[in-house]
Amino acid sequence: MGPHDIGGENANKINPKDQGMNYWEKFSNGLRIAVSAKKIIVLDELRLASESLGNEYFKMEYFERNSMAMISCVIKKKLISEKEIKDKIAIIKNNFDVPIIELPNKESIKHIHDNKENPHQKGDFVEDEYGEGPPEYFFKMMAIAQILSEKNIISMNDIQTKIDQFDNEFPSRGIKVVVKAWQDKNFREFLIENAKDAIASMGIKLETFADIICMPQSSSIHNMVVCTLCSCYPRTLLGMPPTWYKSRSYRSRVVHEPRSVLAEFGTILSPDVEIRVHDSNADMRYLILPMRPDGTEQWSEEKLTSIISRDHLVGVRIPKI
Amino acid sequence: MINKKKEILEPKYKSLNKVKIDDRISEGHCRTPAYIRGKVGIIERYCGNFPNPEHIAHQLPNPALVPLYRCRFYQKDIWPNYSGGASDTLELEIYEHWIVN
Repeated sequence: MGPHDIGGENANKINPKDQGMNYWEKFSNGLRIAVSAKKIIVLDELRLASESLGNEYFKMEYFERNSMAMISCVIKKKLISEKEIKDKIAIIKNNFDVPIIELPNKESIKHIHDNKENPHQKGDFVEDEYGEGPPEYFFKMMAIAQILSEKNIISMNDIQTKIDQFDNEFPSRGIKVVVKAWQDKNFREFLIENAKDAIASMGIKLETFADIICMPQSSSIHNMVVCTLCSCYPRTLLGMPPTWYKSRSYRSRVVHEPRSVLAEFGTILSPDVEIRVHDSNADMRYLILPMRPDGTEQWSEEKLTSIISRDHLVGVRIPKI
Repeated sequence: MINKKKEILEPKYKSLNKVKIDDRISEGHCRTPAYIRGKVGIIERYCGNFPNPEHIAHQLPNPALVPLYRCRFYQKDIWPNYSGGASDTLELEIYEHWIVN
């Protein structure tokens, strides 16, 4: 049992705000997914390498941990040598150029919102717009990407494609599926019976080894999903997991105090409702189908889409009108 | 729902069978969380057969295909001090070689 196995531990309150991802994180994720897609390294090998970090596991940030796992796997599989990585990192660092631009003071910029001038808040800007250089793990991931590309194992284009899909395509898929299930009773039944085929019937190619299971919310059962062992998540259906889904607090607490966790997301349920936690720990991935709110019977597809968010499809919040 | 491509092995358990998860200690990579070991629940469904993650993580040649189940537990049977509702449940996926009865 490794440092990653934390379901049932006591941990801090959850920050329910998704901090998003900066470019370095997106690149690292793109590389990881591109490598898995080509079956060069399988997911369980990456998981094992991550778990083998021992005491270092939670000292590292999520993507740093992933990069260490990636390095360990490419070396172990003799795809790349330690020396090749070291030499490549030196070249990348030497050539890396962060453009120096005089940035205005962010807080002094005003924008028009609701016909009023509003000062910008720090949170209005994504992290890499602050002009900070990349973290150390990015150089490692970039080195692996470039070497694998030189060896014709994957291409830099494969990684960029994944980055673009995660930005533009994947996050909207799950929402589309839910809207269709709300509007089409037969599709809803198909989805609950066999989610993978039902989603494929909409022309969505999930390109994943895992099976998808759809769990419908009802007035008597409330479903929610966690992965206590890592961060298993239906990425090609919902996009990247939000920051809190990957956090130690969420992973530790959902399994033994789901009601407290739900309350931190503002979701308070009657004691009569059965809370059903799904620990997504192996080969299935989960889509939670929220209940269509009363009063939306006449709503258009577009309007229904506007009230659904990713948090509803993981089960931590409930759509409301 | 059955993964047809991997339907080679006959699963030993059926839906609603009562099962206990082994409480042995594991070495290396394993997808059975510590908190569920030794606990008693039921089979929710059979999911098909999947390569044993304990084999593929360690790059063993010819990893075994193992029946995978979703198992359901009452929260109060997992956590002695569980404070939520008595009907609250937890479900997770268990490979057949982790089930002892």
